[in-house]
Amino acid sequence: MSARRVLRAAAGRGPGRRVQAVVIFLVLLASTAAATVGLALVAVDSNGAFQRSFTAQHGADVAAGVDPARATSAQLAATGRLPGVTAIAGPFALTSIGLDASGSPLGTVTVAGRTSPGGPVDDLTLTAGRWPSRPGQIVIADDLGQGPDDQTTLQIGSTVTVTTAPGKPKLTVVGMARSITDTAGAWVVPAEIAALRTPGAPALEQMLYRFTLAGSAAQIRADVAAVTAALPAGAIAGTAPWLTAPNTANGSSSIVAPFVMAFAIMGLVLSVLIVANVVSGAVVAGYRRIGVLKSIGLTPAQVTIAYVRRVGVPAVAGCVLGVAAGNLLALPVLSNSASVYGVGSQSVPPWVDIATPLGMCALAGLAALLPALRASRLSAVQAIATGQAPRQGRGYGAHRLLGRMPLPRAMTIGLAAPFARPARTMVTLAAIVFGATAVIFAVGLDASLARAATGTEHAEGPGQVVVYPGGSSSEFTAGQERKAVAVIRALPGTADYVAEATPTVGVSGLTRQVNAEAFLGNAAWTDYDMVTGHWYGGAGQADVNTVFLTQTGLSVGDTTSVISGGKMMTVRIVGEVFDPDNQPLLIAGWQTLGGAAAGLAIQQYDIGLKPGVSPDAYSNSLNQALGAGFGSGTYGGGLFFGIAKSLISMLTLIVAVVAGLGVLNTVLLGARERRHDLGVFKALGMTPRQAIGMVVCWVAAPAIAAAIIAAPAADILHSATVRAMANAAGTAIPASYTHVLAVPALAALALSGLVIASCGALLPGTWAARSTAAAALRAE
Amino acid sequence: MDVMSGMDALIQISDVTKRYDAGGVAAVNQITLQVARGEAMAVMGPSGSGKSTLLNLIAGLDRPTSGTVTVAGERIDRLSETRLARFRRSRIGMIFQFFNLIDDLTVLDNVMLPAQLIGAPRGRALARARELLSALMIEQHEKAYPARLSGGERQRVAIARALVNRPELLLADEPTGALDTRTGQQIGALLQELNRAGQTMVLVTHSPELAARYASRTAAIVDGQIEGRRLAGEPLAAGDLHAGAR
Repeated sequence: MSARRVLRAAAGRGPGRRVQAVVIFLVLLASTAAATVGLALVAVDSNGAFQRSFTAQHGADVAAGVDPARATSAQLAATGRLPGVTAIAGPFALTSIGLDASGSPLGTVTVAGRTSPGGPVDDLTLTAGRWPSRPGQIVIADDLGQGPDDQTTLQIGSTVTVTTAPGKPKLTVVGMARSITDTAGAWVVPAEIAALRTPGAPALEQMLYRFTLAGSAAQIRADVAAVTAALPAGAIAGTAPWLTAPNTANGSSSIVAPFVMAFAIMGLVLSVLIVANVVSGAVVAGYRRIGVLKSIGLTPAQVTIAYVRRVGVPAVAGCVLGVAAGNLLALPVLSNSASVYGVGSQSVPPWVDIATPLGMCALAGLAALLPALRASRLSAVQAIATGQAPRQGRGYGAHRLLGRMPLPRAMTIGLAAPFARPARTMVTLAAIVFGATAVIFAVGLDASLARAATGTEHAEGPGQVVVYPGGSSSEFTAGQERKAVAVIRALPGTADYVAEATPTVGVSGLTRQVNAEAFLGNAAWTDYDMVTGHWYGGAGQADVNTVFLTQTGLSVGDTTSVISGGKMMTVRIVGEVFDPDNQPLLIAGWQTLGGAAAGLAIQQYDIGLKPGVSPDAYSNSLNQALGAGFGSGTYGGGLFFGIAKSLISMLTLIVAVVAGLGVLNTVLLGARERRHDLGVFKALGMTPRQAIGMVVCWVAAPAIAAAIIAAPAADILHSATVRAMANAAGTAIPASYTHVLAVPALAALALSGLVIASCGALLPGTWAARSTAAAALRAE
Repeated sequence: MDVMSGMDALIQISDVTKRYDAGGVAAVNQITLQVARGEAMAVMGPSGSGKSTLLNLIAGLDRPTSGTVTVAGERIDRLSETRLARFRRSRIGMIFQFFNLIDDLTVLDNVMLPAQLIGAPRGRALARARELLSALMIEQHEKAYPARLSGGERQRVAIARALVNRPELLLADEPTGALDTRTGQQIGALLQELNRAGQTMVLVTHSPELAARYASRTAAIVDGQIEGRRLAGEPLAAGDLHAGAR
């Protein structure tokens, strides 16, 4: 007989071996996939990618707004020689303009006058077209003017109208560009700026700085202070640090990163644990066979090779397919960040694709090698003895104690069984803990995201309708206002409504205009979730989002100056709302922002619907009643939250499957070891149902213990992850976003471990129940 | 072929064949056999003759490939696994050559097990188990674990376990096969005593002496077929156990 055939015979065949091979394959497949996703996310760190782009494009550490009346060009240039300043660019003439593209308003845009895209600071990436060569031409930021579902509405050659400049000049889009720190939304030749400036608006220039030290808010404040001190008083009108840019640039990738990382780490740890348990268990299960083979002459080396090969083939197959699966699973997360930085497509780094399967194979090999080596060193008799049932004496106490409980005997025998193999029971416990933690974590995260989604959508969410002027105008006429109000009041599905204007305002300390929402009427029903403070209640009060507070350095309770329609007013910030937009937002009442005198005009009516009213049906009725000259719309759920929920479900499934496979393997090993005892039980009259129940009870005790551990662990993990996600999004969150699971719900979810364990035990239990007693009794 | 009235026969096996592989050799080949109530029958044969297979078929631990097996009026070859298990635990007691006690359970828990599987209250099962252990003179070992007992003691525990539900039929597969001669004789005497008290039993053995001493009737099985039957007291020919002997 050839050596190869000897080794094949040594490794064994038969249905039991095939089942084990399948289990090893599936565990390695799922584990490698989970490990690939986890490592990919660690490797493709969002901030790392941003940092690389920032360095490559000489991103501006600080963009400063400068009053040219107070500082000369020479004085500004001299700031480039200050200690700690590594590079400057500017001054660039700056102004804010309203843009319109063929009747579609694009909002207020900061435009800078630059002669070229390059420079020592803020080296723009021209993503399409060319740089303006004369007045009448404009380059826009490539994310400007993208309609819903990311459909670009502006192209090279499009014409845009500057609605706020005298004569409403038209400009031709000649190019699209990207600034890593978003210093402007559009660029023109410097000579164009004066013609685009709104009458009465002050002249402003932009200086861009790079510093030696700019890694923290404190360092940047010190840098800005040094520049401010070097210039005449009042020269610096405001600054914007780059620290907020990563949050705005990262978008959904960084938001999902915390929870994906949490799942990935769980999957990775669990994978390592289960692979080691499954593979070593497969070898240990063959100890008796190894002993028999040694007794007939197999050498220790042959024994080792045979058993490493036995687990090696399914393990390698699982690793290879697992890497492919991991790449597929990682794509949705990684693809989001690829376009943000203009650094090309992002995929799983090659080293992850190589290291992960190698690592998992090495782990499987080690898990097989160690017990195989041990078996090869044992004498034949010792190997046979070691391969028998667990050492006597273990679990006796548990059997005695449980035997006295008023429970069915098959159940108490099953509950006591894990105590005979404490190490294996601990691995099973760990598997179920991870699985249950993943399930509870996922449910909590889903609930938190649902609250965040609702908080994000507030007046523009599902169940809400918006009415706006049709045609090219963004404002209602007086007649339209009267008609809209009459129709809205008359419709039976209306619960609440409020008029809204969405101007942009200037805020002290910020170089760019700030989006504002001015409500005429009671807007409290719009249900913004408050992080701190309260909804504005009277004149002079305003609510803001977290980005506003971060960029201005203000806190709830502070006052600030706001310029609305050319008029300056003081507002007190009374609340911080949850609005994870990456732009600052200010919300106030109509008169607080100057009312009609400041040029405010109603631009939309927000309508809250009664419970059970279909937004689509209401919108149809509204359109019919309003007739021509109006538009209305409903809002669907956010795309991000849909992607996040799918991601959560996928990752939870991976972890739960790996956990279930771990339990399956443990129960299979146990059923194999106890096959003879099972035969005795059946010979004594244990029914198939009792046998299944007994086998399921093998994992019931670990499952209950796992529930006790998993519930608080998942709760802590959930809170930490939600906070991390909020940090990544650059926003604070209301406390209610983390307190989503009441204790009864938590307890019920913790029993998901029991479900996972039962699923893993059911198949082996059924097999055990189906085998004939005679066959089982013949097993030794 | 034994002829017995239906009312007398506790076990009726008709033309039973058992093959483990389709087309393979029959472990049991067209056997017809009857065992009366209160009878002690020995099934004797060399290793591989099919005697243990026959016992498993009577116990319902295995299913015949063809033929019928009727025990206590029940066609057990047609019962589902669940009904077979229920039948077995209440009507049949099994004694094995290597005892088949559960190592994790004490002697007392081992004996109580069949009663608890039926659902008997713990107190009743406890009382019955202790009664049997006392009758078998091993009550002092009730808290011990099987690994600590001698072979004879373990087999007594197994006998107690087999009797805890007062079965109609006791099946013993080589009950003295793992015991020394003296202990074997003690166990044999025990079984004989049980039979005198009215217990129906079928013994599987390769020992003609055991068969002759403790059974009222002996059936010799060779290569899966009954080769001969002796009543108690009739001498066995030297060649009766060899293949092909008639």
